[in-house]
Amino acid sequence: MKSFKDYNPRAVFLFFLGVIVPSMFVMDPVLLAISFGGAVTLHFTLNGRNGFKGFWLFPVIIAAGLILNPLFYHNGATVLFVLNNNPITAEAALYGLVMGLMISGILLWFRSFTTIMTSDKLLYIFGAASPKLALMLSMIMRYIPLFRRQISKTNQAQKAMGLYKEENTIDKLKGGMRVFSVMVTWALENGVITADSMVARGYGVGRRSQFAIFKWRKADKLFLLLAMVCTGITFLTIARKAIGFTFYPKITRVPFNALAAAGYAVYLLLVLLPVIITVREVRLWQSLQSKI
Amino acid sequence: MIVIKNEKVRRFLKIAVPFIFMPVLLILGTVVFDEKKFAWVILATTVLALLLFYSGFEKKVIGTRRMVIIAVMTALSVVGRFIFALIPGFKPITAIVVITAIWLGPESGFLVGSLSAVISNFYFGQGPWTPFQMFAWGIIGLIAGYLGRFLKKNKPALAVYGVFAGVFYSMFMDVWSVLWYNNEFNISVYLAALVTAIPYTISYAASNVVFLLLLGRPFGEKLERVKLKYGV
Repeated sequence: MKSFKDYNPRAVFLFFLGVIVPSMFVMDPVLLAISFGGAVTLHFTLNGRNGFKGFWLFPVIIAAGLILNPLFYHNGATVLFVLNNNPITAEAALYGLVMGLMISGILLWFRSFTTIMTSDKLLYIFGAASPKLALMLSMIMRYIPLFRRQISKTNQAQKAMGLYKEENTIDKLKGGMRVFSVMVTWALENGVITADSMVARGYGVGRRSQFAIFKWRKADKLFLLLAMVCTGITFLTIARKAIGFTFYPKITRVPFNALAAAGYAVYLLLVLLPVIITVREVRLWQSLQSKI
Repeated sequence: MIVIKNEKVRRFLKIAVPFIFMPVLLILGTVVFDEKKFAWVILATTVLALLLFYSGFEKKVIGTRRMVIIAVMTALSVVGRFIFALIPGFKPITAIVVITAIWLGPESGFLVGSLSAVISNFYFGQGPWTPFQMFAWGIIGLIAGYLGRFLKKNKPALAVYGVFAGVFYSMFMDVWSVLWYNNEFNISVYLAALVTAIPYTISYAASNVVFLLLLGRPFGEKLERVKLKYGV
């Protein structure tokens, strides 16, 4: 039993693709509401109480869409009122609302994506395509903490020398430049030494192989299969035009049928997959504890 | 430097992307999809353009030293954001990209620019904007590389390039935000976005100029020295 974070990154990446693409592609209020709901649930499952930090942004985006869109667009048949000789229409307002829902949903999905898909996982996914690029990315990712530590060392040394006495932006800027300059010299020399060491150990002689700590377990395959089936059915319903919505000139929905209902249901299952996995894991953990 | 190793794949991409994929995408975008899928078309086009650039890097012999130096410069451009975090709006990424491009050439500039975008987004959040940032910074580096000899000697030109880079970045990213928000290009919304972004654009441009003028020469000399001493 694994938590959602530990599933095979390739499967998780495809899952995110399957969730995000329809919600970027289809302007359908129901689908987008499902997507947004799924994004919010996953966000809070991952972050718990900390999820509220910065969460105010999303209601603001939705409200901004609702208010700003009718000010710029005056299409639509249902005029609510007239502002400065420009009609404000219900259609434009609803369009803005749905657009805000879409944008905040996608932003939330990408937040979870950034939390789950750490750099090592992305290297695992894309490393096979270009081993050289993957090597460079992993070197950069290693250099960043190293450089940050070196910067704080340099800063402390400069402080001990009696610099930065005053609260002064120019002084700060000059100090920053000096530290940066020191860093560049140090980092370049360091880099050349690293490169020489790599060459001495035979880098570039043979074929580059790739090490990955991730395996395909049964649960990964099952998860991928389920996610792909759900995505496939969702795409099918979209392609069959069972899901779709026209805003202008009048709000109309394509006739609702069983296929559309199936599409919504399957997409709901898809967006809730990570939460279902997490809940199952927690349940299992509790039952194991109670047995002890 | 060869990013895509397989020569057949590289050659295929170089022909297929500009002559098959992009036209097909544009035709599909205008004819098949209903009116409002431009954000998608432009996102896909940007990704293809990045692929095209990466497949264009062919130089066979590139020393391990140069590869590591590109990695070092990218890491520095990201770390620079932390050094100057005390002063809001001051980010040295563009300056580092331009300096690297001037001294190490257009390819290195493109690589440092596009990699900096991906890496700094690991800290500041990935999103559908990542390919656009990669492309914008990559292009800034590429052009600086081609203008290298001219920018190396001419300080006012360097400052002008800094302003250009800031304005270009802001305008380019706003095209994407408008397309994404509206799913269609509306010039009044675009202008409104540009106007609201003016303070940011000014701070980008100003910090680019300050960093380029202050760091250009010393950093360039350091790169030159490493090039001379170690034969990168």
